[in-house]
Amino acid sequence: MFKKTRKSRLILVLCVSAVLLSALGISPALAEKRFEGVEITVFTQTPPFIAKPVQMFRADWEKETGGKVRLITAPWGELYPKMFSSFALGAKNYDIIIFPAAYLADFASNEFLAPLDTFLAADTRIDWLDILPVYREKISTYAGTIYAITMDGDSHMFYYRRDAIENPEHQAKFKAKYGYDLAPPKTWAEVRDVAEFFNGWDWDGDGRIEYGVVEGMRKGAQGFWTFFSRSAAYTSIPGQAQGLFFDPETMEPLINDPGHVQALEDWVEMIEFGVPGMINMDNGEVRSVYAAGEAALAIDWGDVGVISDTDPGSTVKGKVGYSILPGTTRAWDYVKKSWVDFPEVNHAPYLAFGGWIAGIDAKSDNVEAAYDFLSFLGSPENSYICVTTPETGFNPFRESHFEKLAGWYGYGFVNPEDYLGAIQATIAHSNVQPDIRIPGAFRYFEALDAQLAMALAGAKSAKQALDDAAKEWEAITEDLGKEKQLKNYRASLGLPIE
Amino acid sequence: MINIWSSFTGKKAGRAFVLPAVIILLLLTIFPFLFSLFLSFGKVSFLGGLQIHFAGLRNWLRLFNDERFYNALSNTVLIAVIAVAMEYVLGLGLVLLLNRGVKGSTFFRVLFFLPMMLTPIAVGYMWRMMFNPTRGPINHVLPLLGLPAAGWLTEPKIVLYSIILTDIWQWTPFMILILFAGLQSIPPALLEAAKVDGASGWRLFREIIFPLLIPASVAAILLRSIEVLKIVDKIYILTGGGPGIYSESMTLFGYNLGLRAFDLAYGATIAFSLFATVLVISIIFLLMTRRSQEISLE
Repeated sequence: MFKKTRKSRLILVLCVSAVLLSALGISPALAEKRFEGVEITVFTQTPPFIAKPVQMFRADWEKETGGKVRLITAPWGELYPKMFSSFALGAKNYDIIIFPAAYLADFASNEFLAPLDTFLAADTRIDWLDILPVYREKISTYAGTIYAITMDGDSHMFYYRRDAIENPEHQAKFKAKYGYDLAPPKTWAEVRDVAEFFNGWDWDGDGRIEYGVVEGMRKGAQGFWTFFSRSAAYTSIPGQAQGLFFDPETMEPLINDPGHVQALEDWVEMIEFGVPGMINMDNGEVRSVYAAGEAALAIDWGDVGVISDTDPGSTVKGKVGYSILPGTTRAWDYVKKSWVDFPEVNHAPYLAFGGWIAGIDAKSDNVEAAYDFLSFLGSPENSYICVTTPETGFNPFRESHFEKLAGWYGYGFVNPEDYLGAIQATIAHSNVQPDIRIPGAFRYFEALDAQLAMALAGAKSAKQALDDAAKEWEAITEDLGKEKQLKNYRASLGLPIE
Repeated sequence: MINIWSSFTGKKAGRAFVLPAVIILLLLTIFPFLFSLFLSFGKVSFLGGLQIHFAGLRNWLRLFNDERFYNALSNTVLIAVIAVAMEYVLGLGLVLLLNRGVKGSTFFRVLFFLPMMLTPIAVGYMWRMMFNPTRGPINHVLPLLGLPAAGWLTEPKIVLYSIILTDIWQWTPFMILILFAGLQSIPPALLEAAKVDGASGWRLFREIIFPLLIPASVAAILLRSIEVLKIVDKIYILTGGGPGIYSESMTLFGYNLGLRAFDLAYGATIAFSLFATVLVISIIFLLMTRRSQEISLE
């Protein structure tokens, strides 16, 4: 009898609560599960890198919203063809794509992606202004409209072995040989000297020979980004519209101008001072070689820093210094067709690759749910977990990522202030150069890559290789439509389109 | 009541049963093949749906003026000729040894087949580590033997031979497999009779074993040649086509232009030029083999 009464009361209370909540227009269960029955499909690179954050957070979002996240992945080489064909044929295979920023122009200029400005304006979770300006205003934006949510901050930076450079014995020897103090290189000319000095001898006393430098030069990998990291300072004058890829007035390729030729000559010379086999190394190998303590200097994205300090197999933990990419004391002015000398070092850090961003298929049936998932994934809290977790492949891109150091120490960094400081100095630099962002970007890159490889292999001079690359770029531009490409290029630089 | 199945007899029934297979073949093989051929004469645009405009011989003219095409073609043919020849010679030698019933021949037979069972990607990574200039075992051992270390994958003059070496390592077992089956099919009585007549080992090989192995040899060489002419996976892992373009094969060239650069029409043109190359080489090889057989019969 007692049991029956208690049960009856419970039912009564639930019924009354339900009636009252309904009367107030609140249905807690329904409000929480706002995407019940909705399935969104996310497409990105094969795990772990880049897909891992989706795997990490989809269960939480599904629990919160009632929606479902289906993850489809493909290797790097298949991303672009699959994304482009799905959009262009209207197949709606994917609601969300997480893709390299270099594809944005292709997708946005063809109206494949849903504009996100309205969603962002109403979003209280994503804290859009916390994202560093270069990412939200340039990398995620095309022709003034936001088409993507920043997921990853990517830029090339420079690494040096502090223990080697700060050694007084090395400093004395270096000064005797080169006539100036050994210090972290500030210019590419100094990089050459330091690389030469540390090449081919056991400077860390581990009984093995070490080398001057390690850079990714492999054909068909990321070498062309390393090249532009070297050529940016030779070709980018502060305040001038970008001189790295094309003349924004004529769409004439600039990659064979004297600045680029000088950079390629410098780069070819580095083979002599590099780890043997460097010409066949991609950036994955650069990271493992540097963490194994084989080289004094390196160029890479933030990953060398991560692996050097956090990988259990690293022999250089706490020994690595970080800096903005070295600069030059002169740069080629593509407008005046002459060299310009600088009293101070001219830095032009390069946002190589530009990072991974996420967009939504404009034809998706689930744009709202897709946006909600992206907002959840890219929120300050979750993105902080992503950038401080191994194997996500994501690097910091928000103000808050640089402010909270606890996660970075927890990640294993010995000097997170230095690491984050170098990234911030790169991203916030007034002469920072975004990557190429026009349709057919990878067609241009592929053509250049083959010519760079020829120069690195000694089959062509730097000038000949870049002249040939420029001819191929002109042909690609003609093929894709010169007028259209010029408009796209100007839009990508934020210049007025006539 | 009319039984419609009763009319399905003889040729009609045969055609009806074959039809599903023909449709599948058309959909999966013939249609993509013809579509690719069509693409090689077109210009592709995906904007506003898939659009292919007829471009005449534009892609083919571009191909014949492209230095990378001739480089990839010569690399591919060189790899195919040397690798297949070496695989055949080594395979034949090992088959003759195994057939002599040497001690542990069953063990060696299994051991020899192991490389063939690995995926080319795994083989590529394994050899990339072996060839590593500073950490690889090959360059570690060579100086101990008084030989100089080498840039196996970075020296333009030797990179193709390094790739050929990996192919020989992996695919000689295929030659062993086919030739061993061919050898087993030779009637023992024939060999015994020759021995009784006093034929030496060399004469036995030259006049009985080798001629009777020709059909198996032709099949093995042809199948391997077709495969090697399409080589891409190991090269992709070992060198990416570098240094420069010194190790770029036809398939890798097609992949780079067709899928990395997403120039589909040109990629299709490259693919078809490879198809034509394979076809021409196969026909020449078969004609030469037939001619040599006719001469030997005369």
